[in-house]
Amino acid sequence: MSKLTAADFAPHSNEHHCHALSRPSLSYWQDAWIRLKSNKRALASGYLIIGLLIFTLLGPLLWPVNSSEQDLDQLSTPPGSARSALIIPDYEPWAGPTTTVTELELAGSATTQSVRLQWTSLPEANGHRVYRNLYPVGEEKAYGIPMAEFFDNNTLYFEDRLDLSPGIYYYSVVALAKNRRPATEAATIRVDVLRSTTVDEAIAQGLVEEGEEIAVGDTVNVALHPLGTDYLGRDMLARLMEGARVSLFIGIFAPFLYVLMGVVYGSIAGFMGGKVDQLMMRFADFVVALPFLLFMILFKISFGIGPGESGIFPMLVAMVVLLWPATARLVRGQIMQIREQGYVEASKLLGAKSSYLILRHMLPNTLGVVLVTLTFEIPRAIFTEAFLSFIGMGVAPPTPSWGSMSNEGIKTMLNTPHELIFPALLISITVLAFNLLGDGLRDALDARMRNTE
Amino acid sequence: MIKKYLDIFGGISCLSYTKGWGILELNQEKGMAETNSRAIEGDDSFTRSAEKQLALYALYAVISLSVLVYILSLAAAQFGSNSTGQAIDVENNAVTITLRAEPPQLDQGRSTDASSFVVLAHAFEGLIAYDEEARLTPGVAERWEIRADGATFWLREDAKWSDGVPVTAHDFEFAWRRVVDPATASQYAFIFYSIKNAEAVNTGELPKEMLGVRAVSDRQLEVVFEQPTPYFDKLVAFITFLPVREDFYNSTNGRYGADADEMVYNGPYMITDWVHSASMVWKKNPYYWSDKRGFLDEIRVAYITSDTNAKLNLFKDGQIVETELLSPMLPGAMAERWQIDRIMDGTVFFFEFNHRPGRVTDNLNFRKALMYAHESSELVYKALKEASYLPAVSLFPVWIQGVNGPFREEYPPPEHHMDLEKARHHLELAKQELGVDEFPPIVMLSGDTPVSLVASAYYQELFRKRLGLEIRIDAQIFKQRLAKMTSGDFDIVLAGWGPDYDDALTFGDFFASWNLNNRGRYNSPEMDSYIRTAQSSLDPKERMDAFGNIQQLVYDDVAMLPMYERGWSFVVDPRLKGFRRRSVGPEVDYNYAYIDVSSD
Repeated sequence: MSKLTAADFAPHSNEHHCHALSRPSLSYWQDAWIRLKSNKRALASGYLIIGLLIFTLLGPLLWPVNSSEQDLDQLSTPPGSARSALIIPDYEPWAGPTTTVTELELAGSATTQSVRLQWTSLPEANGHRVYRNLYPVGEEKAYGIPMAEFFDNNTLYFEDRLDLSPGIYYYSVVALAKNRRPATEAATIRVDVLRSTTVDEAIAQGLVEEGEEIAVGDTVNVALHPLGTDYLGRDMLARLMEGARVSLFIGIFAPFLYVLMGVVYGSIAGFMGGKVDQLMMRFADFVVALPFLLFMILFKISFGIGPGESGIFPMLVAMVVLLWPATARLVRGQIMQIREQGYVEASKLLGAKSSYLILRHMLPNTLGVVLVTLTFEIPRAIFTEAFLSFIGMGVAPPTPSWGSMSNEGIKTMLNTPHELIFPALLISITVLAFNLLGDGLRDALDARMRNTE
Repeated sequence: MIKKYLDIFGGISCLSYTKGWGILELNQEKGMAETNSRAIEGDDSFTRSAEKQLALYALYAVISLSVLVYILSLAAAQFGSNSTGQAIDVENNAVTITLRAEPPQLDQGRSTDASSFVVLAHAFEGLIAYDEEARLTPGVAERWEIRADGATFWLREDAKWSDGVPVTAHDFEFAWRRVVDPATASQYAFIFYSIKNAEAVNTGELPKEMLGVRAVSDRQLEVVFEQPTPYFDKLVAFITFLPVREDFYNSTNGRYGADADEMVYNGPYMITDWVHSASMVWKKNPYYWSDKRGFLDEIRVAYITSDTNAKLNLFKDGQIVETELLSPMLPGAMAERWQIDRIMDGTVFFFEFNHRPGRVTDNLNFRKALMYAHESSELVYKALKEASYLPAVSLFPVWIQGVNGPFREEYPPPEHHMDLEKARHHLELAKQELGVDEFPPIVMLSGDTPVSLVASAYYQELFRKRLGLEIRIDAQIFKQRLAKMTSGDFDIVLAGWGPDYDDALTFGDFFASWNLNNRGRYNSPEMDSYIRTAQSSLDPKERMDAFGNIQQLVYDDVAMLPMYERGWSFVVDPRLKGFRRRSVGPEVDYNYAYIDVSSD
């Protein structure tokens, strides 16, 4: 046995007991961020959401078209339609044929402004009925849409101005029998309608350069609508961007508010426990039972939101007042769990106050859950807004929102599907993106998921 | 204090927690890279193969589903359409139809809605009826005579109720007295006001026996007029003038018209079954006198719905014989190669202004500004796009008859052209007169139907762009809109007015100061005097002149702004002949309809 020296009794240095770290230490959040980044779906969704925000906030600067401006020359035009239009004189009422007519024929040229037909009286006719068809008249004698009828043989001309779009039409004139019902005699003409506009319109819409001369017979390009127009000729892109503002405002702001409220409420209930908790949670149960739509209407009335005014504010209030209990319950459960953890006990033993416990230990540890809830509540809120606007409880016309645009589009779904598809697609993409991001966040923030990856 | 504890706490954490983290780091970073790498790779390939399998299953599911859908659609094409459709039942000589809405009740004295009118027009017959071409034709009355002071109707002998009892003049006397009786509270009592003492009876000043109607015998009905009523024959064809049998009415104990067995019928058809809000069955009335009406043995009202999309699908499936087509449905109908028909439904739609004092719309220059800023043809051709609609230019629709020919040919409506300069000029004048710099938002009350929503959105933008006015759209369901119209809670209302009888007066007296349907409370002595002339003059020319003056005054005073005359594009099963839609009278009429399969 060797001799002990005084040096042997010197205190061991502290440093050697700590393991050397081979890598920089990562906080909970840094770790979560790394794992979120490796989740491609979540990352793509994140970029998509950023893209949507740019679309909403910067889009109107890049595409400064008024979303309520009606372009009556281009109604329900799908995207990518030909834009070249012939300049024609201003519309003048037509008082009938000026030349001798021998059969069913066009008077002047057929343009989207008007198609003028003139004909001679059909054999044994007691008046005529004019039809317009998109298809050639077949054996079925399906002449198409009846456009007008005349109960005597004095009027042998007809001017069609109804929603003409460039393309082929088949016009038929059918003789009427004595009882004013269509008889068998008929004449049909094929008409190729050209897109047209007038000088005034072209200038008013800024279709020609400043100082450039245009005259009847020239060709111009009508206003560009990248995503087409709706049934009143309003630019779909501009409406979608403006609609996004409403949808995303409600979609992000409302959940933020009511999740915050739920967090505060839930953490108080969970932390206090006992009777207070019981009482608070029963009140939350009571709020869950309140019908959302009814309250939305009640708020609308009690705020004095008159007819024709936006219902967005009462919608926001109704959401904040009624939708917090889900988050509150979740947070309360979390808090009750954390309350029993050893480190909280230790902190308590060391004399930490309630406020310190809540702020330092409880809230940060529930934040993951809260964040996930928030990302799942956002699509829900967007969907609620879309639904309420769809049934007419939301925005007031002419302000668009994706929901109200879908509602308008669904009426003409079969003929002009783009009016429904674009807003519906945007709702779907946004909701999906937030859901996938929420999914990714949950995986990233849940420490237990760490080893399963 | 806390700070100190914290420090200690931090010290502890160095020992225990940092260690933990370090190990974990090691595990995660190094371990993953070296020792565990194979296992992880194995896991990965396992996940990948599982994903592949899942994708394969999904593919199978999609393929089998589409095959199933294809087979089903083939099967539907095989067995569907005409073969299984119930629209026309040749064997039982029956057709299946829809009704727009459930009739609140079928008491002819109190009914006001279009679908009740349809049912009543098939189950009852008045003194005078409409023929196939919408001309007046004898009904229960064989012949009649209209004089300056009254009218006489001679009733046919063979007209019978559905229980075999003859229809007599007393049935009409009883029915008409009952309508004007204030206890009945009929909304249509005013239509009787041309009969002597009707207004006094209706306001409770005279007993109902004092009404100028008397059954001289079972076969003869005498009517005394309050004022000359040259259009009385047209009036009598209206639903409210249908007969009610007194003994049967009393036997129902106030439940008259509430159910199929609480009525006795005298029309071509009788209601044998009425499941409220769901369906109805009308059967041929065996006691009906004429062989020129009521050819079908049975009419089944299988659906009560106003949803045109649902009706279109029912029609496609061969479930119903007739449906109307809105403009979005027309391209599809053309592709189906249907024979589309059209009818003006008689109704004129217009902007009704609120003329109550204090409203901006009470100002003539303001109304003129709106008038010059708008063009009804643009609304119809560009915004509404309904092929069956006509741009309205007058209070009187195009089908109203004048002295010898169409009224609008004899009295052309004032020429109107959009003129933005004039519009802005009048708007400036209105600003000066009202002493305002900026107009308050204008409340535009509108219906909640697709067409009125499009029209209101169109006008909102039009007036914003052309006049800088802010319009607020107040879209309401029909009942609520009516309530707001009555209380005057609007600046502009998009309203419509349909004809009750086939005479210009049904539109002409709309703006009478005493007419309760004049919801904007337009009040002008000049208008009232024209209307009085039109009501009582026996000279057709003088009457029509008065209507011409009314038409001009409505334009000059901008009492309203005409928007459109409504029509319907519709399609009927080609095997059903004789079916009519009407401008005046019931909107759909099966009284002359019969099944003809020969053309099939």
